[in-house]
Amino acid sequence: MSGRHPAPVRPRWRTREHIRTWAALAPSLLLVGVLFGGAVVQTILRSAGLLGTGAGGTFSLAAYRTLLTDPVVGRSLVLTAAVAVIATAVSVVLGIAAALLLHRLGRGRKLATTLFQLNLPIPHVIGAVAILALLGQSGLLSRIGAQTGVVDGPAAFPAITFDPWAIGVIVQYVWKEVPFIGIVALAILAARGDELDDAARTLGATRWQRLRHVTLPLLLPGVLSAAVIVFAFTFGAFEVPLLLGPTSPTLLPVLAHRRYIDTDLAARPEAMAISVVLTVVVIAVVLISAAVARRSIRSEAA
Amino acid sequence: MTHIEVGDDTGRWPAATRPGAAAAATEADRPSRPRAWVVLTVTLLLALLLLPLVPLVLASLADAYFYPQVLPERWSSRAWQVVLDPGSGTWAALRDTVTIGVSVAVLSLVVAVPAGRVLGTRRFRGRRAVELLLLLPVLVPAVAVAIGLHVVFLRLGLAGGIPGVVLVHLVPATPYVVLLSAGVFANAELALEEQARALGASAWQAQRHVTLRLVAPGLAVAALFGFLVSWGQYVLTLVVGGGRVVTLPILLFSTASGGDASITAATALFHALPALVLLVVVSRVLGTGAFASVGGMR
Amino acid sequence: MRSVTNVVVLLAAALVVAAGCADTGDQASAPLPDPADWDAVLSEADGTTVDLHMWGGSTEINRFVDEVYGPRLEELGITLRRVPLADTADAINAVLGELEAGRTTDGSVDLIWINGENHATMRQAEALHTGWSESLPNAALVDWDDPAVAFDAGIAVDGAESPWGSAQFQFVYDSTRTDPDDLPRSYAELAEWIEANPGRFTYPALPAFHGTRFLTQWLFELSGGAERWTDGFDEEAYLAASEELFALLERLRPFLWREGETYPTDIADLDRLFANGEVDLTFTQLPAGIGANVDAGTLPSTARPFVFDTGTIGDHHYLAIPVNAGDAGAAMVLANLALEPDLQLAKLDPAGGWGDGLAIDVTRLSASERSAAEEVTQGLGELAVPSEELAAVRLPDAPAALTDALDRDWQRVIQDRQPRS
Repeated sequence: MSGRHPAPVRPRWRTREHIRTWAALAPSLLLVGVLFGGAVVQTILRSAGLLGTGAGGTFSLAAYRTLLTDPVVGRSLVLTAAVAVIATAVSVVLGIAAALLLHRLGRGRKLATTLFQLNLPIPHVIGAVAILALLGQSGLLSRIGAQTGVVDGPAAFPAITFDPWAIGVIVQYVWKEVPFIGIVALAILAARGDELDDAARTLGATRWQRLRHVTLPLLLPGVLSAAVIVFAFTFGAFEVPLLLGPTSPTLLPVLAHRRYIDTDLAARPEAMAISVVLTVVVIAVVLISAAVARRSIRSEAA
Repeated sequence: MTHIEVGDDTGRWPAATRPGAAAAATEADRPSRPRAWVVLTVTLLLALLLLPLVPLVLASLADAYFYPQVLPERWSSRAWQVVLDPGSGTWAALRDTVTIGVSVAVLSLVVAVPAGRVLGTRRFRGRRAVELLLLLPVLVPAVAVAIGLHVVFLRLGLAGGIPGVVLVHLVPATPYVVLLSAGVFANAELALEEQARALGASAWQAQRHVTLRLVAPGLAVAALFGFLVSWGQYVLTLVVGGGRVVTLPILLFSTASGGDASITAATALFHALPALVLLVVVSRVLGTGAFASVGGMR
Repeated sequence: MRSVTNVVVLLAAALVVAAGCADTGDQASAPLPDPADWDAVLSEADGTTVDLHMWGGSTEINRFVDEVYGPRLEELGITLRRVPLADTADAINAVLGELEAGRTTDGSVDLIWINGENHATMRQAEALHTGWSESLPNAALVDWDDPAVAFDAGIAVDGAESPWGSAQFQFVYDSTRTDPDDLPRSYAELAEWIEANPGRFTYPALPAFHGTRFLTQWLFELSGGAERWTDGFDEEAYLAASEELFALLERLRPFLWREGETYPTDIADLDRLFANGEVDLTFTQLPAGIGANVDAGTLPSTARPFVFDTGTIGDHHYLAIPVNAGDAGAAMVLANLALEPDLQLAKLDPAGGWGDGLAIDVTRLSASERSAAEEVTQGLGELAVPSEELAAVRLPDAPAALTDALDRDWQRVIQDRQPRS
């Protein structure tokens, strides 16, 4: 249509198109830019001691200096990053695998897909409560173990909640995010999968070759953007590690919250500084993954 | 689960004439009849995904449900009586959560669909910057911006009431709806073009009808996502609502802090159930295909 | 380039909004009605809604507030809105955030259920109305000469809080698991007991209330009693005593639940561990016992409270009005209502109430009220420690400076295994 107009670009028309484009974008951009942008600016000003209860009112990087020199924060950052990376990677692998399997189902596919996405709308908090009730040392599995004589008391059941490796947190994230990744992958497969797969088959590609060179590249862009959302969430969420995570080292969002509700008001700039660090890391990961995706798509095309 | 017939492409490629049919391996893995292990693995996967809800259901129906009871020794409807009691605040919380969720779903469509249409159908300079900016609220942790949002909303005079909570929920909901509707329009516009070409690109009015019909299911899914983002929101509601707006997540958190496992479980299920029903209804009405638009998220 | 400019303009707009949020308003607070003219307070409160912000984790407490206070306020033309909190700190932060943003009147919090360090934080920020609580009509029933009432966490109440109830720290064991003769009766004995029963004991991570109180008492015992701390905070003495305490905790660490690698978040977590048999002791604060917890099924019916011979801390919890409260009159009416003798007695009873201690002085009650109180405390049975026994070992609370330091240092030294900062 208009976009493929063959005639040389007429400036007046371009301007109108331009205005229409930005007018359509304006409500969303204003909402996000003003409210969210305003909040981010607030957080940054507070982290630098310029605003807020417990702040001096003059520019100071003391909060950041404290973070840098505090080994507890360092350990937390490492654990938080590890949890987010592992949870995302496992969710992506299992999500894709689940999508491939579901895609191969025939008549039961519709029902299976509905069941598969059932936990999508369940809030994370409920997931955390449920995982604790299932996998805690006195949870349902441990109880079944005790009744069948496999486990001798709660302490003999593996400690995977409140554990130093935050396994319980990772399990909860994987439980919640596998369907998310899976649905994204399934949607792509449903839209394009069969057609390309058949084409590759006609060319005599083996199943592995088709998976490696057709299906996975097809899934990559969509799954990658979903994975970025999962990473961002697992890196910054506070409810799940609060309910399932270890006391120390704790995950960064919990640490930020702890500093924020500290009865010592002077700890607040530190909470804000941790928030800024979380934000910067997430944005960096998004930009890097976008660059990687662009490059891999370009090299795939070449 | 014994015999599953698939109609998608068996007919198109009769086995004998199908190119590449010579390779036995290729023949064996055609998706026409899922092997037993596929069915078994999927069943196991679904069981694993639904398993965590089992102890919640048990706990909500038990009294003094202590280790090592697997099934409760004393079944009890106490927790459900408390949660469903008209005076307990659960129903008021449900009403407010639904009001807020529906408002967020509708308003996020109003705000986000124009942007989604532009992003899904037009190429323009600055597009990537816009996409990143719109994605930020999804990516940046709520904990990191909650305090700032509180101040902004206090200044705007919107803290402490339902309108403010709706507005603050729009911040994380809008990006999802923009991205989802961008995918919907990107897919729909292609089909529209094909159809328009086949029909000789007649009336603009007709196109609009076609477009609307094409995008409606996808937009419904986008609105569902907006609703669900609002449905599960805790931190932003707490901060901007100032405690005055008691939604189901707020109620659940305060209940969970008390350690009454039965009431916590019942409250959690009460909170999860409407969302589950809505999801099933939407995917039944629109077909699972409607969720294909999620794939447009990129 | 134009589009990039557009984005930049938007970001600039965001900055302007944020900057507009930056100037702090002056702290002229909402006027407070004079409780001496009670009729004026009542008429001001008539037709308003009081927002009571309180921890909402207990079904019994929630129900009592809704179903007992609610109708009584209704009779006075006041609507009660109970705001359930997961943590009292949420209400503290709401008020401080509002004040900081310049909302000095018509704030969202009218009344907070508060005590201890939260009280200290609010007073430090000058965020509470002072000088009203001792003038309430029912304040005459309160023994303001009792330092346990007049001081909260070592800070003079100064009419900023009206007492709602009293509490005393107690331990809880399960009579089917532990022989009462084997129970520790002091912290010295507890240390031996922990070593003899590896993996069977833990306590909530500080600054959770019960964790702080548990270790404060230990510090008292190690340093020769509570009395030497009540006059004020002696930094040097604290350093020495806490050094000894932390060394002891470090030695006991491998004998704790999960070998002291992690700790329960709060008392609800510890109760859950106890009820499921993961640990053998938990704590309670309820002077009239754990009957309500047993009825709710959160503690087994065989659980029994007990105290150490070396004493446990008793204190009060209060209701306080933030300086920017929108409906301070209605808040006062509720604070006064909470002191009514019949409602204090109903709250004391674990059946119908929740076993919370009295905030009023029994000797100031009428003969019939006194015998009613007697009746409740006599009928508590094994699920409560007799009130005379509690009174005999009651210790005063520590100053906020001590508990703040203990919270900070415990998190640093024991939780994160770092040198004290």
